[in-house]
Amino acid sequence: MIRLSQITKTYGSGSVSVPVLRGLDLEIRDGEFVAIMGPSGSGKSTLMNIIGFLDKQTGGTYSLNGEDVKQANEKQLAGLRNKHIGFVFQQFFLLPRLNAQKNVETPLLYAGVSKKERSERALGLLEKVGLKDRTGHLPSELSGGQKQRVAIARALVNHPTVILADEPTGALDSRTGAQIMDLLTELNREGKTVIIVTHEEEIAAWTDRIIVLRDGLIVDDRQVTS
Amino acid sequence: MNIRESFALALSSIWNHKIRSILTMLGIIIGVSAVIIVVAIGDGARQQMADDLFSTDENAIPLYFEQTTYEENGEMMWVEPPAVTAEHLDTVNEVPGVKYVLGTNSGWGTMNHNEHTADMEIIGVDNQYFIAKDLTLLEGRRLNTRDTDSYSRVAMIDSLTRENMFAPDEEAVGAIIDINNNPYKVVGVYESTLPPEFRHMEGFSNGQMLMPRTLISMMFGSPEIDTINIIADQPDYLTETGFAAAEKLTELTGSDEGMYVAEDMSAYVEEFDSFYLTITLFISSIAGISLFVGGIGVMNIMLVSVTERTREIGLRKALGATRGQILRQFLIESVTLTSLGGLIGIGFAALVTAVAAVFLPFSPIINPVVVIVGILFSSMIGIVFGILPANKASKLSPIDALRYE
Repeated sequence: MIRLSQITKTYGSGSVSVPVLRGLDLEIRDGEFVAIMGPSGSGKSTLMNIIGFLDKQTGGTYSLNGEDVKQANEKQLAGLRNKHIGFVFQQFFLLPRLNAQKNVETPLLYAGVSKKERSERALGLLEKVGLKDRTGHLPSELSGGQKQRVAIARALVNHPTVILADEPTGALDSRTGAQIMDLLTELNREGKTVIIVTHEEEIAAWTDRIIVLRDGLIVDDRQVTS
Repeated sequence: MNIRESFALALSSIWNHKIRSILTMLGIIIGVSAVIIVVAIGDGARQQMADDLFSTDENAIPLYFEQTTYEENGEMMWVEPPAVTAEHLDTVNEVPGVKYVLGTNSGWGTMNHNEHTADMEIIGVDNQYFIAKDLTLLEGRRLNTRDTDSYSRVAMIDSLTRENMFAPDEEAVGAIIDINNNPYKVVGVYESTLPPEFRHMEGFSNGQMLMPRTLISMMFGSPEIDTINIIADQPDYLTETGFAAAEKLTELTGSDEGMYVAEDMSAYVEEFDSFYLTITLFISSIAGISLFVGGIGVMNIMLVSVTERTREIGLRKALGATRGQILRQFLIESVTLTSLGGLIGIGFAALVTAVAAVFLPFSPIINPVVVIVGILFSSMIGIVFGILPANKASKLSPIDALRYE
């Protein structure tokens, strides 16, 4: 359960300070499938960074599973990212010199998981995302859709609370994009909380709930009726 | 991520940039190998010198007279060394540690035989000389006590003299030779003491001759004993034995204007050591500069690497890497780079010293301590010059790093 209350985020200070989030309240329950939308500059990326522990809010409280994370230092934030968040990026961000399996294993290196278990978990997830026969391939030998599948397997590997996907289909053609959305939907059905940041209505339509931001505030929060 | 995995990652990263890595390591390679090579050659030369000083000439140490008074009535004065007799030497031979006392004298003479003429050194000896020196008798007999006591006009010639002055089929033993227009009888021929490679060198030696020292004293007017060499029981205590013998001889001869002293061989070694230390320090400081510049090169390339891998760093942080883990990864990479450079430097030094051993008159000795210090030092350079780039990497904000194009 994600609970944000009166979250503000201001970049800079004094006369040059730029408020990006202006007192935002949001609750996302476990197992929800949410899209965060909004034009550029609306603060949706900043919101995603705060939820993903990549950034800290200036004011307000953020609690994950009932735990207030305001006091966390940099090292603890790294641990929270590792343990609770599975990131999926528009540009995939796979390590180019590591094969698919090693890429999926990377978060487990930082979690201190043994080599044998890392390998088992990575191979299991690559099979789950349909890349059983691509485990030894380098990212350069994979298609865009396959790369994003590897990235999703990597996001899942440390059993995170939340999958945070930032424009996950932005670099893919619509057919491949649909396959990726299918996969994320399936993960959500299995009980994962999935949050997608997007500016495409089509993508947002896959989710159950659409939150729209404008100028650092939530202007719309609606359930999707299919 | 454990240390082993970090090293594997570092090695693959170095391997992926082979040329860059080699160029970066060059300063470290040159610095480390230079120190090892210089120390190895210096140690080899020192060992050779010590061997030459202490092991050849049957561990002999010469005693010589050193005057303690130099002036008389404001004028320079030369003190005649007191006469040393055979009895004195017998007493010196009693000093603990002394194996033999060699009392000799010498003269130069012009030898004429079979229309050959040669100037050569004649050493005056007694029979003790043959006990101490392992001369190989080729023909005839050695000089003996009777020759010494009776001033016999006899001589032994060395093989070189025989070759130069006699026809190969001519009988040398029993021949009468002419030295400074005086006749002497050859009683024996001994193997030349010169190393074979020097025997036929132009102008190096015309050969050598032995005569009873009593005879030399009579014919050439020199003291019966003017050169004294002490041979010690134990070569390791040669210098100490020499000192003791010199003290005894001074006591026996009783001159108050001077004393007998032994040449201190270790002084030569000390002199070499101080010279060698200067050279080593000089080369080491140049190597130190090379290592320093190499270290800066490592720092530079690591900074480039951090910039190039900004997005990787951002991603790793997003996946849960802590600052410490990123810092460690880059630090291990720079340490691996410099340690590898150190190892290559050691290998290079081993190669160079092996080749040098073929050309040098002695074998360079690689000092294991220097090798270990070389490895430690190159690793340390990796830490010192890796800290700044690694710290820069660890401080990158994941958001900025991921957005980096």
